[in-house]
Amino acid sequence: MKRKLKILLFYVLLLAIWQAVFDLGVAPKYMLPSPLIVLSRLRELAADGFLWPSIRTTLLRMGIGFGLSAVIGLVFGLMMGMNRTVAEALRSLFLGLQTLPSAAWVPISLLIFGLKDTGIYFVIVMSSMAAVAIATADGIGHIPPPYLRAAQTLGTPRREMWYRVIMPAALPSIVTGIKLGWTMGWHGAVSAELIKSSIGLGFLLHMGRELNDVAQVIGIMLMTIVIGLLVDRLVFGRIEHRIRRQWGLIHAS
Amino acid sequence: MADTVAQTGATPKLSLEGVTKVFTSNTQVVEAVQAITLHVAAGEFLCMVGSSGCGKTTLLNLIAGLEFPTTGKVLVDGKPVKGPGSDRMMMFQEHALFPWRSVIGNVLFGIEHQRQLNRKERFERARHYLDMVQLSGFEKSRIHELSGGMRQRVALARALTPEPDIILFDEPFGSLDALTRERFYAQIQEIFLRTKKTGVFVTHNVREAACLGDRVVVLTSRPGRIKREIAVPLARPRDFYDPDVSRLAGQILGELRSELPPTGDTNHETEA
Repeated sequence: MKRKLKILLFYVLLLAIWQAVFDLGVAPKYMLPSPLIVLSRLRELAADGFLWPSIRTTLLRMGIGFGLSAVIGLVFGLMMGMNRTVAEALRSLFLGLQTLPSAAWVPISLLIFGLKDTGIYFVIVMSSMAAVAIATADGIGHIPPPYLRAAQTLGTPRREMWYRVIMPAALPSIVTGIKLGWTMGWHGAVSAELIKSSIGLGFLLHMGRELNDVAQVIGIMLMTIVIGLLVDRLVFGRIEHRIRRQWGLIHAS
Repeated sequence: MADTVAQTGATPKLSLEGVTKVFTSNTQVVEAVQAITLHVAAGEFLCMVGSSGCGKTTLLNLIAGLEFPTTGKVLVDGKPVKGPGSDRMMMFQEHALFPWRSVIGNVLFGIEHQRQLNRKERFERARHYLDMVQLSGFEKSRIHELSGGMRQRVALARALTPEPDIILFDEPFGSLDALTRERFYAQIQEIFLRTKKTGVFVTHNVREAACLGDRVVVLTSRPGRIKREIAVPLARPRDFYDPDVSRLAGQILGELRSELPPTGDTNHETEA
């Protein structure tokens, strides 16, 4: 509790510094608005019916795109975990792809898919799939051999090993990969929306720039951070914590 | 638990006939076990002792069907072993329990694919064996919540639940403290007397072998060959500190010691 209070205090301090810089007039008002101006701009956007539909749309796109990505990543990760040659070949490819910024997938997606939402899913998948695949493969690679020996002697047929032993044994690593993948996919979704959408958080960022509205740009940036973080913590963080506690990897506080 | 094959002339439960296992890697060829011929009668409890790296675990893997002999045959009820089977269960050095499952989930693991049992029967069976190892009430516990001894008891229940004819033990008590281990010796003897199963128990602890075995096979250092077989005609249940057990342990140790490379240290204590 005390720690949470300190963290809260840190953010209050951050806002105070922002306000102070604004009050000192270091930068002109149109370049650096105050926290309250940003907040009131966000409220205007909400009242005009821009904000909530945009958040909903971006989350929906993530739901579809990242859902797809997690499944593809899992399948690739399983293949890598089961076959060493596949693992070595794909690992280098995926590590290579991960060095590419999410936004770098947008031009090719425009060329292939035009302005359709399919292109946004494509960017999300390409941004996040590798993280899931690599974490899954690593998780499988680190399964203690006794688990596999025990499962074999207990009569698990080879074709059932992957879902009865391999996937559950690699689960903590897989969940960590999915959590990381979510963040990467979130980057991809907002990047793609900057250019090829008429709704969504990325679109509102783009619109703010077109209108020279710094308050809107900062406001939407903050919303993007907060929503990305909330899903990360409340959905994936909780699942991860639960699994780790059940396995005894962390002790219940 | 039962007379040896030589004494009764019955079909052995388990036979190893001239079994040799060679492991080949890119850099070396290792002969793990060499020309092992061994018969285990139904209901017999056989202990195999040998120093580290004498191929004890390899022998168990061959019987379990996890590996196959380079030459020779492994027969169960006269039929060659073609892979793992629910007639042969194994207890491992490490408990090898699945942390993603609860205690009962682990015990159920070996019978989940047995279609002849319905859900209720499976749970009843699992509870029966948890009760046998005195872990009733721990069904829903997570593995990490249990002590080392309790974990090995879950592992024993998991091995018993598919109701195998043969249970293989790969130094299962090596990492337990002495008191916990001694409770296991009593429990294992009691369970085997009651269920009449066949046991093959691998260890480097000579007193453990003398206490548990109907017969003790001493293996040579790499490659593992049979150096001597010693019958243990003592009544059961045996106490770990029984003087007769100690005397036999001393005899086994004598056989084993001559396998150790000379170190100048002639004053080994019996491992206990």
